[in-house]
Amino acid sequence: MTMDETDLRLDGNGVAGMLAEVFGFEMTVCWGCCAGCGASNQLGAMLVYAHGMGAVACCPACGQHLLRIARGEGRWWLDLRGLAWLQLDEQARMAG
Amino acid sequence: MGRLSWRLAEVVEVRPETGRVVTLALEVPGWDGHRPGQHVDVRLTAEDGYQAERAYSIASAPDGSRVELAVERLEDGEVSPYLAGELRKGDQLELRGPVGGYFVWEPDRGGPLLLVGGGSGVVPLMAMVRQRAAAGSHVPARLLYSSRDLEDVIFREELERLEAAGDGLTVTYALTRAQPAGWTGYARRVDAVMLEEVGWRPGERPLAYVCGPTRLVEAVASHLVALGHDPSRVRTERFGPTGVP
Repeated sequence: MTMDETDLRLDGNGVAGMLAEVFGFEMTVCWGCCAGCGASNQLGAMLVYAHGMGAVACCPACGQHLLRIARGEGRWWLDLRGLAWLQLDEQARMAG
Repeated sequence: MGRLSWRLAEVVEVRPETGRVVTLALEVPGWDGHRPGQHVDVRLTAEDGYQAERAYSIASAPDGSRVELAVERLEDGEVSPYLAGELRKGDQLELRGPVGGYFVWEPDRGGPLLLVGGGSGVVPLMAMVRQRAAAGSHVPARLLYSSRDLEDVIFREELERLEAAGDGLTVTYALTRAQPAGWTGYARRVDAVMLEEVGWRPGERPLAYVCGPTRLVEAVASHLVALGHDPSRVRTERFGPTGVP
């Protein structure tokens, strides 16, 4: 069996640590809305392609990019264009 | 919820599970507990400062400051050959967590439960099964576990014991590559027919947790939805290309 893009796909769980570091919340239980198709999902359900420096997370309903995140040279880069909104639940706030 | 900061854990036990999988028992000072299905991020730092991070599912039920991970050694891996080959009792390990809240089950979420795991994807499901037993829960639970062969089945003896307790847990294996002589169980990959035979009817509204290599997870999740299960009650955790059950 050859490996293709499918094999590399992860869930939002796969970037939970990275997102927690940036947002300070357990983001996999927080809800986001796709700016493309309007579907709302918990971020744990996102389809994620992760690489050494960062990750791209896509809408489980339509596949559009919801967020891109990368880290390098002491900086975080975030592209949230694919999200119409993001809801951070106070109960999901993490301790330092 | 979990903690953000990296902290040092001490390896208190290294226990081989199969030829390629070891359980690492860690003592984590200040650990606030975890929920079954969560993972930790492990960070290794080389002498030149290069760092590699990987996520490992927690295998144990919540138990004070003790946390057990089950790590599969991937031959071309950057982190797992160290964790599952060189790490010894008394060594220290940098970790962060617990992380994750989406792929989590606790007894008060109810059931019935359908757990489908492929290869080392059984690890977070094992935390759920262990917590179910530790809490004295009688939530009906069915575990369908796909493995290459019987030798690669992780936690086999413990699963036998838990099933024999007769509190509503059943364990079914699908052996995809090799089967012992006289094997009467499934000898193929998980498919829709198998899920219909082993799983619950859609009308029973099971909670399904599916974990393993991405291909297996996506095939199982699609079958479950096609069989009529509510997509919002099917939770997945894709492990990527690792493990080939």
